[in-house]
Amino acid sequence: MLAYNARIATKSLKRNPLLTAIVIAGIALGICASTTFTTVRHMFARDPLPGKSGKLFYVRMDNWDPANAYPTSDTGPKNPHPLPPTLSFRDGTELLRSHIPARQTASYFANLAVYPERRISRPYQTPVRLVTSDFFPMFDVPFEFGHGWDKRADANAEQVLVIDHATNEKLFGGANSVGKRLRVDSRDFTIVGVLAPWRPFIKMFDLMQNFVGDPEPLYIPFSLTRPMQIRNSGNSDGWKSFGPTFDDFLASETDWVQLWVELRTPADVAAYRQFIDNYVRAEKSKGRFPRPLNNQITSLLDMMQEQGVVNPALTSMAAMSILFLVICALNLTGLLLGKFLARAPEVSVRRALGATRGDIFVQHLAECEIVGVAGGVLGMLLSLGVLRFIGKLITATSVISLDLEMIVAALFLSLVAGAIAGLYPAWRICTLQPAVQLKV
Amino acid sequence: MEFGPIVRALSRNRMRVLLIVLQIGITLAVIANAVTMITANRAKMQKESGFDDDNLLWVYSKPFAEQFNERSFRVTTTQADLRALTGIPGTKAVANTNFIPWQGGGSSGEVKAAGGDGTMYRTQEYVASPGIMDTLNVHIVAGRNVRDNDIDLDPNAKNSTVIISRALEQLVFKGKSAVGQQFIEPDGSVDTIVGVFDKFYNPYGWPIHEYTYFAAGLVARGGARYLVRVEPGKMKDVIPEIERRLLKVNDGRNVDFKPIDEFKTQYFSQSRIIIGAMTGVIILLVIVTGLGIVGVTSFSVTERRKQIGTRRALGATKPAILRYFLLENWIVTNTGLLLGIALAYALNFLLVTKASGDKLDWRFVAAGVVLLWLQGLFATLAPATRAAAVSPVIATRAV
Repeated sequence: MLAYNARIATKSLKRNPLLTAIVIAGIALGICASTTFTTVRHMFARDPLPGKSGKLFYVRMDNWDPANAYPTSDTGPKNPHPLPPTLSFRDGTELLRSHIPARQTASYFANLAVYPERRISRPYQTPVRLVTSDFFPMFDVPFEFGHGWDKRADANAEQVLVIDHATNEKLFGGANSVGKRLRVDSRDFTIVGVLAPWRPFIKMFDLMQNFVGDPEPLYIPFSLTRPMQIRNSGNSDGWKSFGPTFDDFLASETDWVQLWVELRTPADVAAYRQFIDNYVRAEKSKGRFPRPLNNQITSLLDMMQEQGVVNPALTSMAAMSILFLVICALNLTGLLLGKFLARAPEVSVRRALGATRGDIFVQHLAECEIVGVAGGVLGMLLSLGVLRFIGKLITATSVISLDLEMIVAALFLSLVAGAIAGLYPAWRICTLQPAVQLKV
Repeated sequence: MEFGPIVRALSRNRMRVLLIVLQIGITLAVIANAVTMITANRAKMQKESGFDDDNLLWVYSKPFAEQFNERSFRVTTTQADLRALTGIPGTKAVANTNFIPWQGGGSSGEVKAAGGDGTMYRTQEYVASPGIMDTLNVHIVAGRNVRDNDIDLDPNAKNSTVIISRALEQLVFKGKSAVGQQFIEPDGSVDTIVGVFDKFYNPYGWPIHEYTYFAAGLVARGGARYLVRVEPGKMKDVIPEIERRLLKVNDGRNVDFKPIDEFKTQYFSQSRIIIGAMTGVIILLVIVTGLGIVGVTSFSVTERRKQIGTRRALGATKPAILRYFLLENWIVTNTGLLLGIALAYALNFLLVTKASGDKLDWRFVAAGVVLLWLQGLFATLAPATRAAAVSPVIATRAV
């Protein structure tokens, strides 16, 4: 019966190819617009680490100026708790001593010089991220060769290095370079791991800076900061002056270290909160942290929301594009109504020959769904092109594509659009009185 | 007039009327809000920095040679770089500075006026060599520019000589001249103000877009950065020459280039996506609803050929038929527009409260109404003309 319906429907669609083309194009435009903008929004809004994001927390403490709270933005997202977005080096290092988190990493990036073999490349400066060994499992960083370093390397500030896929291609021709040596800044490093190609759409481990940017090409232990006298190259916030030496800088109230902790149970969260509250109280008694106690432990998804990762304008555009699809569907209703009613004599003959109202209804709805799905598929193909273009507008390396979730959603939308557009016309045609039409 | 008959005829075709009314209503709501988003973003993009954005080039020297670990070496190299970069054919001015226009941020701090009421003011703060004014193409409006001998190269120096933006002068000194006044920084260091310049606008995360000072100095930590102002259209030509000259001063480094225009493009990428997408939506919407009206009206003409023929046979003129259909459409369109005005404000309320957006401007709604009137007129014209062409003879044919 279904095959029969499909055959009749195709026949009917072929009879008026121009109208069919207009109808399909209409649905395709609607689906293209709505898929494109909901997908763009989805790329920003979706969970970057499904199953895990609820256990990752970002830690902030208010070590700011007693006279003025940390300033809030007038254009970007409002910070509900005005406090510095990062920690000072001394606090970041102290908090890393806690054993409550299952995993934890302090992190920041610095531009450092890399000295490959001269016959391969001139020395060059590149962003290097300083992290602890836990960084790689915490953020599901994929390895092509080798693996991250171990806790001992963190503790002893060993000169170990993880490089990304592109750097390995460039400096080692893509071969397994684990165990090879590479000079970074003033020291020789041993490569322990090479990353597989990895380009998360949202750089979830550094939401404070350009969160649509590329991950850094190189990773070395955070504990090398002091021995190598590395200075952060990203944002830093300070209010209190400090002495001229590097140790003065590390002991200062200047904030630039990001701390992520993995807390697996609510009890751990509570214990950790207690831990940092106690830490700040103890520091207060030494004259630090002059402002009221304001510690924040924020989950990854809440942090994304607070940092305005989903730009509200994207939500507006997604809403408008859905309305556009509604208009396309309404439009189709009009066209299909005309088309079906023009077929009244033929339908009446079928009714007179024994077809039930239900048969006629299903028949016409099938025609609408064929059009709906054809338009949906065409619309998705169109939106793939548009998305590629929009991805390039966001950053040179951003790739936006339809994931399974969005393809299913788009197909579902096109079925719904086809059904909504076809429901009334199909109902009208099946309730016609055959007798009136058959009278000559 | 045929109001009575039209309304009675429409009320027998409620679904058809409803379809068009809904389409027009939602279209108006979307168009009015889309135009609001477009104009808000255009306004943002048209904000002027006050600089010669199109002809500014950012040059970043990224050293890898170990000599650069010495501060004094970095300073002498930067001085040599500035000499080497001065007078390149096709360039107008050069400055060593950590300021980059349109990067969506920068560096900032707090200052208070010496002898003032102690209020701390947050302001952008940058270090620059004296070439900064010519390079940005902004002008000293009071006092003087900083000079080379204002630069204190002592690594432990705390005090500096600064020029400030006019907006910062007005903020801190409230209409009095800032020239000769001093700022005190939180650590107690003193900035002596020697000049005021206009204009300055650099969007920042905090509401300090127009407040800044430039302290006379050299920026040499973490690689030297330069801004070069080139003659219009010469950007491509000067880049190789700049690289050649810098590497001649010292080749233990790589040199990166990025026109300020690219920073600006990047800064506004989101606005451009919004403007492009919303313009596309408006155009497609007008086409789609237009086609919809043509379709539904054609259908209603075909359906009523019999009645039209009868009316013609009873004496209605062709213009009368034409007028009938145009009027019918006008009534339907207006109903849709009334609904649309309500929907436009409702949608705007939702967008402003739940997402983002600016308040709807009634003029955009009015413009949308006019646009949709015209669209309705043109979309009905063809089917209505066809209706007027129906021959009265039809009335005499059998059912």
